[in-house]
Amino acid sequence: MTIEIKDVCFSYRNSKELAIDHFCMTIETGEVISILGRSGSGKSTMLRILAGLEIPEKGEFRLYEETMFDGKHFVQPEKRGIGLVFQDYALFPHMTVLDNVKFGLSHLSRTERLKRANEVLELVEMGDYKKRYPHQLSGGQQQRVALARALAPNPKLLLLDEPFSNLDKELQYKIREELYSILKRAQITSIFVTHDEDDAHTIADRIVKLDKGKITKIGRPCDMLGTPLKRPEVILK
Amino acid sequence: MRKLSYYLNGWTILSVIIVLSLLSPMLPIIGGLLAPSSENWEHIKEYMLQDYMKTSFLLVFYTAVGTIVIGTSLAWLIAQYEFPLSRFYKWALILPLSIPPFIAAYTYSGMMSYTGVIQTTLRNVFNMPVNQKFFDIMNIPGAIFIYTMFLFPYVYTITRVFLTQQAASLVESAKLLGKGPWAIFFKVVLPISRAAIIGGVSLVSLEVLNDYGVVKYYGIQTFSTAIFQTWFGLGDIDAAIKLAASLMTFVVLMLVVEKLLRGTKQFSYSNTKVNPLPKVRLTGFRKWGAFGYVTLIFCLAFLIPVIQLIDWFVLTWGAIPNDEFTTYIRNSMLVAGIASVVIIAGSLIVGNFQRFAKGRIGKVLPKFTIVGYSIPGAVIAVAIVTMFIWLDRQLGSLYSAWGLDSTLVLSTSVVMLVVAYIVRFFAIGYNAIESGYDKIGVNFSLASRMLGASVTKTFFKVDIPLLKGAIISGLMLVFVDIMKEIPLTLILRPFNFETLATKAFQYAGDEKIMQASQPSLIIIAMSALAIFIFYRLLDKEDAK
Repeated sequence: MTIEIKDVCFSYRNSKELAIDHFCMTIETGEVISILGRSGSGKSTMLRILAGLEIPEKGEFRLYEETMFDGKHFVQPEKRGIGLVFQDYALFPHMTVLDNVKFGLSHLSRTERLKRANEVLELVEMGDYKKRYPHQLSGGQQQRVALARALAPNPKLLLLDEPFSNLDKELQYKIREELYSILKRAQITSIFVTHDEDDAHTIADRIVKLDKGKITKIGRPCDMLGTPLKRPEVILK
Repeated sequence: MRKLSYYLNGWTILSVIIVLSLLSPMLPIIGGLLAPSSENWEHIKEYMLQDYMKTSFLLVFYTAVGTIVIGTSLAWLIAQYEFPLSRFYKWALILPLSIPPFIAAYTYSGMMSYTGVIQTTLRNVFNMPVNQKFFDIMNIPGAIFIYTMFLFPYVYTITRVFLTQQAASLVESAKLLGKGPWAIFFKVVLPISRAAIIGGVSLVSLEVLNDYGVVKYYGIQTFSTAIFQTWFGLGDIDAAIKLAASLMTFVVLMLVVEKLLRGTKQFSYSNTKVNPLPKVRLTGFRKWGAFGYVTLIFCLAFLIPVIQLIDWFVLTWGAIPNDEFTTYIRNSMLVAGIASVVIIAGSLIVGNFQRFAKGRIGKVLPKFTIVGYSIPGAVIAVAIVTMFIWLDRQLGSLYSAWGLDSTLVLSTSVVMLVVAYIVRFFAIGYNAIESGYDKIGVNFSLASRMLGASVTKTFFKVDIPLLKGAIISGLMLVFVDIMKEIPLTLILRPFNFETLATKAFQYAGDEKIMQASQPSLIIIAMSALAIFIFYRLLDKEDAK
């Protein structure tokens, strides 16, 4: 068991209703999980709780036997070793692509830092854009840089918040397939949040359906949404 | 418990300390309300308090009316119409703010005096002897004229920005419904810009109550002058504190009225999509009417006094020895520089705390930073002196241990003046920084933390570089406001410490009006430059 989430409850200030209602699940290494739900279902909140950006009222969260939070402990977001790709990417506008990717690698030596940054930029096929600034990139390119930046420090878990919502329809298909192959090649455990069933269907190994903060269903895409769409071919390096 | 340890970090503690130290000088004032009253206070209360209140009220009321009429009419003309030089005036109409009212006050009285340019021209060129009565502006209506002319840009700018960005669809539908320009102005524009206008007018009113320079020079008795008189003339600091407390009550009442007038409708221009008001090109007599009106105001409120000052400047060139003059400039820059850097640093800390704090403290605490700005300088002066004398008393044994002779160390140093500036102008810096934080949002910082950077590392590596624009404009606004400041500087400066503003005030007070033009012009030039850059920056960002 890689990741264990137990009985997590959360409510926003000034609200009596639970935004997250007794959320429980376990995730295996390398699995890609999709949290699927309508807006207001609490899916992004759950992501923020796992990232450490919100403090849950109760519950436990263990990542590779290490407690991220329970009744007594709370690990600050910067100490968790979890990567997060923001919905709007949040690429630092005052830094180049390379500097953005290097940002999370301050624990490495100079040469190692550069090496690792180049590695992940190659992984997302953005090696030629190192010197550019975020505003000089298209939406799809920005997203790949954001992904590279999150992957660079080798996070134990990668979180993605609505990774396709800022892209136009055509790009969305392309990026979706790319993302799937990148995640599989990097063999990284990841959770992404989406409102789009197709997204969940294409990428996820398992889907968690969330409604008003409650899990209504967990299962493989084929069990939940009928016949799966054609999965893209993955070449594992 | 978990929540407590999450929030109780260095940033929270520092922010609480900063805000509390901004508020602490006000305690003796509030305490003063309850203290037993002295004989002087009984006398003041019995015979004079009513007069002070009446005069202060008259000044505030008529200035408010004047600035509303001028400010909104100009805002509407510039926002809606095109006429000769209208693009130039859009900026130029902010410039009167760069002339501190006390400088305008002595410039105008110099121009209107028997030996001034107006009367001499009438006498010598047109051979017209004039009745002095019509040329005396050193009275309450004169002060109202000065305030109106040099403070209306507060109303003008806020209202113009509001009209340009928010009013387009309403004005257009009114037009389609067949309303003419006057009906649109009175039935649509005025009501919808109520909140903006009141926002501007309340700034104007705070400035009027804060003013010491104009009323002192014109010999008008208001709260501000009375506080200083009681303090220095009668030597009764307790009575001065009581007066200050009454003035503070007056201000609080005014702010309550403002809240009520503004109603529940809050406006903000950040959320709404900018939908600019299309301009109408004026023709014929309307074109020249609009041009004439705007030009008249610009001349009265900027051009004429500046030309007069330049004239005096040339006439008295060399009258102030150069090295003395550099000292004034250096002193001004020194105190303004230190205070503005401290203010911006403090604002960055409180602002950073504010945007991540989720509890009630996080929302309420930063609101208190405004207190110093709403309280008139005279009150702050009393408060700061009381606090520093108390501090010196506490530190007395320490001073003698260090072998210092004096028992008043802090209260005779420039530190006291700088602290007073910080208390008074913190809100100006904080506003600039807070809107900067609003603009960048929280995601960059959260992204940085998700990549393993601590809050502090994030602050230096991500937040500060992104806030560069806000930091520069905040520094500039605070710096310029301090350069112009008069009551605090006059009262709290160490012996023999002169700044450009105090020197200008002193020369004017000694009837050396011409010499006063030199420090005055430097203040005006620096303020004008800062205002120009600041609003240019703002406009560019809006246009993006």
